[in-house]
Amino acid sequence: MSQSTATAAPLKAKRSSPRQMGTAIGYAVLAATLVALVFFLVLPVSTILYKAFRAQGHFSLDYFRLLFANDLQTTAIYNSLLIGVAATLLCTVLSLPLAVINARYDFPGKKLLTGLLLTPMVMPPFVGAIGFQRFFARRGSVNLLLLKLGLIDSPIEWLEGGRVFWAVVVLEVLHLYPIVYLNLTAALANIDPSLEEMATTLGVPRWRQFKDIVWPLARSGYFAGAIIVFIWALTDLGTPLLVGFQETMPVRIFNMITDVNENPVGYALVCLVILITFAVYLLAKTSTRGKSYDMMSRGHVSSAVKKISAVSAAPFYLLLVVTIAAALLPHISVLITSLSSKWFMTVLPEQYTLDYYKQILHTDLPLIGIKNSLLFSGSSMLIDLLLGALIAYVVVRKLIPFAGLLDALTMVPLALPGIVLAFGYVTTYTNTILDPFTNPTALLIIAYAVRRLPYMVRSAAAGLAQTSIALEEAAATFGASRFYTLRTITVPLVSANLIAGCLLCFAYAMLDVSDSLILAMKDRYYPLTKAIYVLFLEQGSGEFVASALGVVGMALLTVCILGASLLLGKKMGELFRSG
Amino acid sequence: MEVTFDHVSKKYGDVLAVEDLNLKIAEGSLHFLLGPSGCGKTTTLRLLAGLESTTSGRILFGGKDVTALPAAERGIGMVFQNYALWPHMTVAKNIDYGLGLKRLSGVQREQRLKEALELTQLTRLADRLPGQLSGGQQQRVALARALAIRPTVLLLDEPLSNLDAQLRLEMRDNISRIHRQTKITTVYVTHDQKEALSMGTEVSVLRAGRLIQSASPRQLYHHPATPFIAKFIGETNLVNATYRGDDDGHHLFECGFGHILTTRRKQVLSPGQAVTLSFRPETISVQVDGAARPSVNPLRVVLEHLTYLGESEQLALRTSDQQILRANIFNPPEHDLQEGTAVVCNVHPEHILVLPVEHDLSSGT
Repeated sequence: MSQSTATAAPLKAKRSSPRQMGTAIGYAVLAATLVALVFFLVLPVSTILYKAFRAQGHFSLDYFRLLFANDLQTTAIYNSLLIGVAATLLCTVLSLPLAVINARYDFPGKKLLTGLLLTPMVMPPFVGAIGFQRFFARRGSVNLLLLKLGLIDSPIEWLEGGRVFWAVVVLEVLHLYPIVYLNLTAALANIDPSLEEMATTLGVPRWRQFKDIVWPLARSGYFAGAIIVFIWALTDLGTPLLVGFQETMPVRIFNMITDVNENPVGYALVCLVILITFAVYLLAKTSTRGKSYDMMSRGHVSSAVKKISAVSAAPFYLLLVVTIAAALLPHISVLITSLSSKWFMTVLPEQYTLDYYKQILHTDLPLIGIKNSLLFSGSSMLIDLLLGALIAYVVVRKLIPFAGLLDALTMVPLALPGIVLAFGYVTTYTNTILDPFTNPTALLIIAYAVRRLPYMVRSAAAGLAQTSIALEEAAATFGASRFYTLRTITVPLVSANLIAGCLLCFAYAMLDVSDSLILAMKDRYYPLTKAIYVLFLEQGSGEFVASALGVVGMALLTVCILGASLLLGKKMGELFRSG
Repeated sequence: MEVTFDHVSKKYGDVLAVEDLNLKIAEGSLHFLLGPSGCGKTTTLRLLAGLESTTSGRILFGGKDVTALPAAERGIGMVFQNYALWPHMTVAKNIDYGLGLKRLSGVQREQRLKEALELTQLTRLADRLPGQLSGGQQQRVALARALAIRPTVLLLDEPLSNLDAQLRLEMRDNISRIHRQTKITTVYVTHDQKEALSMGTEVSVLRAGRLIQSASPRQLYHHPATPFIAKFIGETNLVNATYRGDDDGHHLFECGFGHILTTRRKQVLSPGQAVTLSFRPETISVQVDGAARPSVNPLRVVLEHLTYLGESEQLALRTSDQQILRANIFNPPEHDLQEGTAVVCNVHPEHILVLPVEHDLSSGT
């Protein structure tokens, strides 16, 4: 192949061949990606590492010593790890039956219900926490209901002491279980049913079939989801912050941002988060190494999906409906809070009003938040569209030798916790032209763009992979240049995927929590989520306006996600799988 | 172990996958369930295995009713079409896994494993993972795994359908050899009639959930019960005809291109009855027109197309009513027959089978 190109080259030496053009595009995209990642991923992370291990001009572990000597910090570390472990375990327990039901049974209404199971994933847990708190406050709906029913004599302090820990865990689980569920479902559906049937003919009991056959084969798929949940729960800032659980790593880090130059222990703490993240990924990788098996099924495979009637599916309905209801409870409570006018000592509000929605339009902070978020998210979306689509093109069409490497590189932001990135930006770019203390616009846009780039790349790659290269080659035979082909053939064919990617990038940027809370320091530059947070802290009607703003955010997100899933179809789930 | 189906039916919702199946499978036989896809043969096998439950009827193993017994208690060994090898276990572990559930001493277990590996010539590959094996080797692992537990009935579900042609021939011999050595009653599901003819001691042909004929391979080829079987087992020419009475020791039939005589058999026919005549391509002999010797069934046809294959010649012959008959001439003489030439062909009355008319031959294939 390369020989024929070599001999053909002199014949048209004046014009570069499409192949050379493709390689040029490939390297240009690789270079752009590398520059972006070096400046906005590698540099911030290395700066943190550098500062964490350097005191008085040389290598030192002093900050770590200080960190571990401080009871407040060690408690926070311990709490966060525990949140991560508890959330992962509970997500697993909750997801396993759901995944088995989805992978093995078919019943009326399955599509709708299993689709609804995914809704919590697209709802910001941070917003849900506002309503959750209202429901579980001392004089909140839950206590009042229990008192009324005579189940308790005095109100339970749900959000005090040890219970606040579980409040955070429950909120994380209700938000994150779809990730484990999606990965497990895919892993289970991938297992050929005859593998279990063979064991059945040998008399292997069901539980041993699961232990010896199903689990080993589904394990790597499960881990792919579980590590995302663990890291996410461990590093989530919004939920503990709003529930008021101060003794967690993310909240500690958040509180240390403003005086990080006087108190370098913050570097050590963020460094610890990086190390934990890295260790967990490494652990998952090594424990599943060489354990991924091709299902060798060829030819006819009998379907594993068993059709059952609505009556026999009754327990499934119950489980699905309860799960969906529980998962949506925080968001329903936000909605009720935002609409309540008189709500005192009653389970549900006595009167409803739209006043807080009107206030959004007549108060400065909410409007600034919406305007800023639209600007930041829109800009980051455009960056993702351009870079993400090009990366996907280079990767799928294998325009350069190390296309796989480029793909792996762009997936790194998916693994890096937002709080680490935001902290890194503050440390690296303070007192530079990008200083977030003066104007965080550029850094916010970049942070949004970097963290959502993987969604764009995956969406576009999914579309490109389905579009035969022959369609492009056909255009080339008519003398179309690569750019012309790209513009007239390729882009129109994958436009649905590109739009879906844009919607996802935009929606997730709009409701980004860690970058927004950390990087936006002046109220002039507050994005939506920071505005919600600040309003929430205000006395008086702040909490209600914050809820109304949260509902607006959720509505926006829902529309975007629905649009994206309509465009992407089944591919949607693949965006939330690691590795 | 003799296996008996006694009025067995299986319904999926409203679909009748197996309809009132009555069949005896002799002890020690290599019994084929043959039919096109969707005919119910795999369902029948799965009913035997206990992986599906019957809607009605009984299944007996050596006189014992096993209809309600779970798969594990029937003493069957199964080879799945896709082998169903556990990809995370080595060859030895795959085979040993089932043995671990039997009450066997460590020594017995090792002995069984060794035997199974030897029988299927896998000893060298015992420590490999299935993913590192070729298709043929994987097939042998599946066989070894099923045999290791010493089943009383061995069930094979299209075991060779995923192999290429050359390997399939080798594996046919392999399975036949293992069957001869072990003498285990074996039920073998396939859609490949060559497999059934070359290996089977008895072949049951299924179509659309019903058993049509159960007979030895030779019996099936020479005396098919229906035009469907005649066409499914080997190649044949089917001609619709009407019975017109007897003529000089022969049955006389009238068809679209003339009269055909067949040898008289113990068949009850009434004049005017519609039948389907079947004769194999190799039973037709062809002469160039003009040099025709007198014969019982001279058919005047036009040579439509000729494919020369060296050891044989395949002819497509057009009859006066535009039907195409296929003829295979073995060891063909040198001649210069041109396409479009009129020729006379012959079919000996002995070779023509009189079969009942069957409608809708296309369905189920």
